[in-house]
Amino acid sequence: MIRVSNLKKKYDAVEALKGISFSIAEGEFYGLLGPNGAGKSTTISILSTILEPTEGEVSIAGYDLKQNPVECKKTIGVVPQEIALYNEMSAYDNLLFWGSLYGVGKAELQKRIDEILPMFGLYDRRNDKVKTYSGGMKRRINIASALLHQPRVLFMDEPTVGIDPQSRNLIFEVVEKLHRNGMTIVYTTHYMEEAERFCDRIGIIDNGQIIAQGTLDELRKSSMIKETIVIGFTNLTDELFEKIKTAWHDVKRMDQVVHFFSPNSKNDLSKIILNCNEAGLDVAHIEIQKINLETIFLNLTGKQLRD
Amino acid sequence: MMLTFLLPITLITLFAFAFGGAGKGKNEVTEYNLPVCDLDSTTASRAAIAALDSDKTVHVVIVQLAPAQEDVKKGNKDCVLIFHKGFADSLTNGSPMPVELQYDEAQEIQVGMLQKALFTTLAMVPYQDGKNAQRMLNKQFDKMIGKDNDQLKNQVRTQFDTLFKSVEKGVDQNPHKNVEKISLGSEIKMTKLVQANEENSPGLIQAVAGTAIMMLLFSVAGMGASLLDEKQEGTLKKLLYSPMNPNSILFGKMMMANIISIMQLTIMFIYVQLFFGLDLISHIPSLVLMIVFTAYACSSFGVFLASFAKSRQQVQGFSTLIVLIMSCIGGSMIPVFLMPGFMQKISVLSVNYWGIQGFYDIFWRKLALTDTTFLSRLLVLFVIGSTLNLVALKMFKKNILRIA
Repeated sequence: MIRVSNLKKKYDAVEALKGISFSIAEGEFYGLLGPNGAGKSTTISILSTILEPTEGEVSIAGYDLKQNPVECKKTIGVVPQEIALYNEMSAYDNLLFWGSLYGVGKAELQKRIDEILPMFGLYDRRNDKVKTYSGGMKRRINIASALLHQPRVLFMDEPTVGIDPQSRNLIFEVVEKLHRNGMTIVYTTHYMEEAERFCDRIGIIDNGQIIAQGTLDELRKSSMIKETIVIGFTNLTDELFEKIKTAWHDVKRMDQVVHFFSPNSKNDLSKIILNCNEAGLDVAHIEIQKINLETIFLNLTGKQLRD
Repeated sequence: MMLTFLLPITLITLFAFAFGGAGKGKNEVTEYNLPVCDLDSTTASRAAIAALDSDKTVHVVIVQLAPAQEDVKKGNKDCVLIFHKGFADSLTNGSPMPVELQYDEAQEIQVGMLQKALFTTLAMVPYQDGKNAQRMLNKQFDKMIGKDNDQLKNQVRTQFDTLFKSVEKGVDQNPHKNVEKISLGSEIKMTKLVQANEENSPGLIQAVAGTAIMMLLFSVAGMGASLLDEKQEGTLKKLLYSPMNPNSILFGKMMMANIISIMQLTIMFIYVQLFFGLDLISHIPSLVLMIVFTAYACSSFGVFLASFAKSRQQVQGFSTLIVLIMSCIGGSMIPVFLMPGFMQKISVLSVNYWGIQGFYDIFWRKLALTDTTFLSRLLVLFVIGSTLNLVALKMFKKNILRIA
């Protein structure tokens, strides 16, 4: 559905994108992760046709972005990070306006608005001015306005930033429904749990380059990160720690706490506990740190995602 | 900073030039281009015209009568001075000189200032020849003292003979010397070629046209700034995601600014008709055209300003400064005819000037819709509007569309 090849973007001396390539299949949920300034928004802006690339090829639904920008625009829906609505207009009128820009007939548009508003839990407030809405409600209308022309591809740029749990859950439900219905979704987020929950594949972008991409499992494997079993003791001495080190080479001590690094924590946990008992160590607490996107990201980029 | 210091300083400077005679040396006078039509075409009339031309405040431009009268009617000239046939004869027989100043009543102040120079110079003409002067004096005495009072007449005549002899010497050396003391007998017939009626006084036209255009410029600057609001609020970016052409976003804004401008001007004129009796009904086609073209030029100015600015605050700052300056030089605050020559020349650079003159054409000069002067004002407004729109379009693409 989307094919990006050697995409570059330069702003004077600054190279925002350094030749990224990826492709997204029809119906796929693709997550684009990266810290601020990594190049996510530049990529989304190019794919959504409002920014011209310096170099590279992009095609969406078979349309070349340079040759057929209008066709590309008709194919995509964009949910921008900022809430872009007319506050003095009602939610209904906003939807009517934004939908009309895509050439949807008025009757058809009204029908779609009547269908979409209940999905976002805003049907009863449809005639209220947007300025009277909470941040979460505005964000829901912001998303709804990108769906009226029934796009085949949806770009969502951090759609859940700064909203209440109720709105977030509603958005999650809608996003999952859209995905189930076969829509191709490109999703950028700072929230790892969202990426882990929704994304079929994830691309990690940093410093204008995609440094890793694949499914979560593929990323786990390729990152070579080990899971961590963290055990706190009450009687750990230097002598006892030496004994542990003899049995488990990949360990790190922090006072009475020892980090055991393991490729498979589930298999190794019982063996470690047994060794500790044999060495005469009293266990105070145990914690297993699984590999998640946060750790993969940290491992790959050396940065927290929200840096 | 700009509004606190720069704007007041700029306005003080402009008002000082307009009212205070700033920019002139102590003895420097502004020369007035006076259209003169010599229907007499005699040595005497030419000598009188030459005398006028030698006045520091007047520069004579010889013209044909009909086109000159047309120019006055169309507002291109304030007045025309006519030396009628019989001018030379009037000097020889001592009758009043057949000299007429035909003028536009709306330019009364300018014409009034000119009158002084005309009277003082023309008053000297009969006295440049001794015999003519004697005859002229005799006529004046008869008029002033009465034909039958011979005793008094002879006394006065003796005194004047003495006085005239001394003056004649002075006149030979300098025709303008002692002019004030002997400017007797010469009269210029004053004729209003364009004059006020009850409904359409120049003051009323100046008030409505000047104020309406100035206020319109302020409001269109705000309308143009709505583009920047859209940029700030993200709706512009969202509009650009849609399949419509980016240029149509700007055209949409221009169209909206146009429609509101037309409505604003229309309402202002209707208000002046209802409350001050300005006669709109007789001029509807011309008025509609002038409102549409003025609105077009003004709204383009608003979009033009916005295309350069980065924020609404910047537009507001710039627009206040530019609109006030344009209104000042363009005739919204001070009628153009009151301004010094160089300011009158630069006033054509403002939208206000062309709009105000257009409304004068309609209500004051009562020019026909097909009149070339009226049409040329529409053309200028159209060219101003289109040029500003083209620049705005270019700047819009360069500044405003660069949003990602």
